[in-house]
Amino acid sequence: MATQQPVKVAIIGAGYVGATTVYALLLSRAAAEIVLVDIDEDRARGEAMDLAHAAPFSHQTRVWSGQYEDCAGATVIILTAGANQKPGQTRTQLAETNYNIFREIVPRVARHASSEAVLVVSANPVDVLTHAAVTFSGFPPHRVVGSGTSLDSARFASELGRRLQIDAASIHAIIIGEHGDAEIPVWSLATVSGMHIRDYCRQADLDFGDEAMERCFEETKQAAGRIIGLKGATGYGIAAELLRIVQAIVRNENTLLPVSCVGSYAGVDDVALSVPRKVNRDGCRDAVPLLLNEEEQKGLGESAQKLKGIIDSLQS
Amino acid sequence: MSQTLKLEAAAGSTKMVIVGAGSVGTTTAYALLLSGLAADIVLIDINQARVEGEVADLGHAAHFTHTRVRSGTYADCAGATAVIITAGANQKPGQTRPQLVAANHALFASIIPPIAAASSPDTILVVATNPADVLTHAAVRLSGFPPYRVIGTGTALDTTRLRRELGAHFGISPRSVHAFVVGEHGDSQLPAWSLANICGMRLPEYCRQAGRAHDEAEMEACAKRTRDAAYTIIERKGKTNYGIASVIVAILEPIVKNADAIMTVSQVGTYAGVEDVALSMPCKINRRGAFQEVPLPLDERETELLRRSAESIRAMIMSVAAPE
Repeated sequence: MATQQPVKVAIIGAGYVGATTVYALLLSRAAAEIVLVDIDEDRARGEAMDLAHAAPFSHQTRVWSGQYEDCAGATVIILTAGANQKPGQTRTQLAETNYNIFREIVPRVARHASSEAVLVVSANPVDVLTHAAVTFSGFPPHRVVGSGTSLDSARFASELGRRLQIDAASIHAIIIGEHGDAEIPVWSLATVSGMHIRDYCRQADLDFGDEAMERCFEETKQAAGRIIGLKGATGYGIAAELLRIVQAIVRNENTLLPVSCVGSYAGVDDVALSVPRKVNRDGCRDAVPLLLNEEEQKGLGESAQKLKGIIDSLQS
Repeated sequence: MSQTLKLEAAAGSTKMVIVGAGSVGTTTAYALLLSGLAADIVLIDINQARVEGEVADLGHAAHFTHTRVRSGTYADCAGATAVIITAGANQKPGQTRPQLVAANHALFASIIPPIAAASSPDTILVVATNPADVLTHAAVRLSGFPPYRVIGTGTALDTTRLRRELGAHFGISPRSVHAFVVGEHGDSQLPAWSLANICGMRLPEYCRQAGRAHDEAEMEACAKRTRDAAYTIIERKGKTNYGIASVIVAILEPIVKNADAIMTVSQVGTYAGVEDVALSMPCKINRRGAFQEVPLPLDERETELLRRSAESIRAMIMSVAAPE
């Protein structure tokens, strides 16, 4: 049994998402030590210095910039490195560029990572890159956790909360499948106070029929694009979601989160997409077998097929 | 003569008043202090020496969070976001909650009117003293506040306990198991099993999907351990304080943040046909108070259990209410 070491997290990529994630980790006291790695060493050093000046609020967490070797001893290694989604660009168009980046960096990370480290992938397209991270690291699939639709699900609950005037944390609704256009809202399992959302709204005399529901989901699906259009990039939402995943791993929580993981889905083998999984110190080994309705099951199959196609074309 | 620090609440900052500096009151003050939710915490107790001692100790903890803690009087309820009532006799080992009723009801008759008189029009009363439902009802009657401004901690704690039991059983974080307890914060409480779910799947459904047996006997055992938790803890350590303190802070958060969070808390209302009784249902909590937005669709068996719970509480209310 490993001795208790102070928790160390490594973040690959000191861009907007990487730096914001470090900040979230600092303020939350989730780690004792955070190392930031970037091909642009000056950028990594500058960000680490700025972050270290959050010291009065960072609860004695050590932040520094380093190299791939410094991933050694990290409990969690977060892969944020990759080109950003440009305004108007779809996630799939990013795929080839970022796949090649992962081909370059992931083996270097894996070489130094401890045998119990968990890789967390946020770079887009996250499902394809989660699969790539497994391929290029040689890690068992359950130790490579893609942020997947966990952020979409958080956005979904927020959007529903706004419409229904209920705190997002009191709404339980998930989006599964591709973190992208083929993602599926699991309406049949969306609940408030144990009641299906439709029933809740009917009982509360809230006008929330099919049309409103569809609009809610559309807003969620397009949220990233809208944010990118308005401010150029998304950062805070994904950073907070990565923090949640890191906490579930570090604290061995067994929290259920829709995260992307390589597996078999709807009859399609060796593909990564999101379904709720238990997230703990071991990564995301156990998936929750959802009881989907016919439409949702079909949607999951389509998501799986689409991603399989992209993965196959990248590997060929 | 030592200098007394000026510890006045700044206008517009969040002030909480805790009535009762016993174990629950002071632990609540500590949890509240650590949460950063309040800028000012006032602790009130008839035992002046004790409250001064507690305030001094808490003040040294407050050093780490910049929260002001001081002792005070009912006049300090003016401008308070919430007044948390923890004052009352403790449940003794082997004692049931109804046996506390008479003594604590008499105490409420003396403290609630001056608290209500000093409070602001938007101050919310949070009642933690047991039996919580009877005393929530009493607090509404004695304060003259509308029911939504009087929130009993009710089964918020039992819900936390049930989720912990189910989390252990299923090997899942309790935060990922959605189940709750309604009715009396007491022996007649009932888990709303028909609405319990994991990822939106009812528990029997979840078990079927997961290829495991739905162990009804074990569910009943979880319910029993939840119901008996307080007795078990009191037998071992003489009191409960941490669980209830954290639940109180969890209720205060959506009040301070105007968040519309749903929690099972005790409210005066009509339940399963029984009028003018307080018991716990899922309610939306925000700055204005607690609101049960939606009648809970319990199944037939649960509705019958709820009715019995309501009648049991009603009987206790009648036993202490002053004749009209």
